[in-house]
Amino acid sequence: MRSHKVIEIRNLTSSTYVIRMEKNDFTFTTGQYITLGFTGSIDRREYSIYSSENDDFLEVLIKEVESGLVSKKLKRCKSGDYLDVDGPFGHFSLEESEIDKKKFLFIATGTGISPIHSFAKTHPEMNYQILHGVRIEEEAYEKQTYPNGKYILCTSREKTGDYHGRVTDYLLKNPIPSDTVCYLCGNCHMIYEAYDILEKQGITLGPIHTEVYF
Amino acid sequence: MKKVAFKTLGCRLNQYETDALASQFQDKGYKLVQFDEAADVYVINSCTVTHQSDHKSRNFINQANRRNKDSVLVVTGCMANNAKEELENREEINYVVENDQKTSVFSLVDAHFKGEIVHPSKLNTDLFSYGATDKGFHTRSMIKIQDGCDNFCTFCIIPSVRGRAASRPIQDILKNIRDVISQGAKEIVITGVNIGRYDFEGYKFDDLIEQILDLDGDFRLRISSIEPDGFGAKFLGLLNHPKMTPHLHLCLQSGSESVLLQMRRMYTVKRFKEIVQVIRAKNPDFNITSDIIIGFPDESEEDFSATCDVIKELNFGHVHTFKYSVRKGTRAERMPNQIDERIKTNRSEILRDLSEETKLNYRKSFIGYYQSVLVEKIDGEIAGGYGEHYIPVQFTGKEIQKNHFYQVKITGIENGSDPILIGELV
Repeated sequence: MRSHKVIEIRNLTSSTYVIRMEKNDFTFTTGQYITLGFTGSIDRREYSIYSSENDDFLEVLIKEVESGLVSKKLKRCKSGDYLDVDGPFGHFSLEESEIDKKKFLFIATGTGISPIHSFAKTHPEMNYQILHGVRIEEEAYEKQTYPNGKYILCTSREKTGDYHGRVTDYLLKNPIPSDTVCYLCGNCHMIYEAYDILEKQGITLGPIHTEVYF
Repeated sequence: MKKVAFKTLGCRLNQYETDALASQFQDKGYKLVQFDEAADVYVINSCTVTHQSDHKSRNFINQANRRNKDSVLVVTGCMANNAKEELENREEINYVVENDQKTSVFSLVDAHFKGEIVHPSKLNTDLFSYGATDKGFHTRSMIKIQDGCDNFCTFCIIPSVRGRAASRPIQDILKNIRDVISQGAKEIVITGVNIGRYDFEGYKFDDLIEQILDLDGDFRLRISSIEPDGFGAKFLGLLNHPKMTPHLHLCLQSGSESVLLQMRRMYTVKRFKEIVQVIRAKNPDFNITSDIIIGFPDESEEDFSATCDVIKELNFGHVHTFKYSVRKGTRAERMPNQIDERIKTNRSEILRDLSEETKLNYRKSFIGYYQSVLVEKIDGEIAGGYGEHYIPVQFTGKEIQKNHFYQVKITGIENGSDPILIGELV
């Protein structure tokens, strides 16, 4: 367990924020997650790393959970506070040999965009498209950071996105070429449904291609 | 001569570690006695994977204390990590030793009798420095290749109590196996927390297994419990090696895709079935045993039914069922829709009946065929042991020796929850 100093909190919506911490000597593979909590506290939660492998800071994207304990406390942390970081953990990662050869489709819902943001920032040269499912446009967290044409926003509760409906509806209406490498991150139901749709479209998914968010 | 008694709960890794500790105590002049006898030292190698294992561990602590209040009582294993404070507050326990210091149990006890105090910083924390297991409780020789787990399944406390994944150097493993073979071991059992994730300086699990199978000697190799995500085609190819036993304990946990996702398992039911099909295509009677968790949060009747269907379809040789129990600090602890205990009990009974039926059918299929039995027990002229498929076999014969292979023709089967095959010596 390492102690990391908070540099800043960046509020993206009234309930979603990014904590930027000093990176120190922490290393990780893009797509992995950490557990985070206040120094000395036993309450910890898992968060995928939002920043790039190459950034000289460490960032996580957090949505405040209404009845949550840690996400509420973390939102109140200030620059200069110390947080305990454990990890990195997880096997949700890109195959090194595929990065400059394949076309990728990253499918995320809500804050499940976090490791995808890290993928895109770590490997900007990669041939990729992001499909991000949210309820309202406000939840298109920092969409301006993705180059034009790389990011498709699906909004289910309003018509302000690039597509009105769920990501799974989008996939049904817009079949994906079977040589695309797909990564799915978000809630269990989306992954379960998208998995089926993609398999029917001829796409093979392995265990490293999905990350469930709760 | 001082007497020492052990009680081991839980996994094969704990069994291996107890075997090594028991051998070390005997090498240092202690007499090994049964746990229900009076002893000077009791060592409880605990487990904390479910509520039930915590309960059993506490029960054995009480038993040891009742048997000899003046004994040195050592509690180690996963519960020692998970409930350290609670155990340290119990006066009857002399030492609570966490997993990473388990190799130091003997030196702690030895120092205790010499009136010395060992500073915790002086304790050995090498996860792989256990000695020989030749005076342990098993005929089969267990070999530890790995410890810890990085998978962080949402129900599982083990990564918190066993720590991050660590792999033992490949040369140490091969030397260990050569040594035990030269001392007479006939069956090598690979153990660890998540053995499929073995990774030492570029050598993966299948590379290690390939090198073990290439070793000289009259031995057979058994893979113990393995996760379905930890291997690929190369390992599946090695399953047909003549030294490899046709048995895998492949942990399924649920037959519902949705539950597996919420458990954060690294495979799908579909992938699991593919693995079984690949294995059985080459060896139709290959024994696949498994674990199932019943009543994971939000497990619906439909999910449960899917699990029952998979058990029927895959013809498992044995299914070990656990009722899900909340483990503090895991992700599943905070999941909504925890399942009522009565529903879990009801589903457990259904699954147990199904599992016993499947097991009986599987074992009956060996009648008329042959097994190579490694004898572990002899009672007069009755010998017992396990065949290569890891099914218990009993037969009669004169001058049968333990730790020897015997060809046995299976002629019948006993009834019961763990039906033993009955055979005749060939």
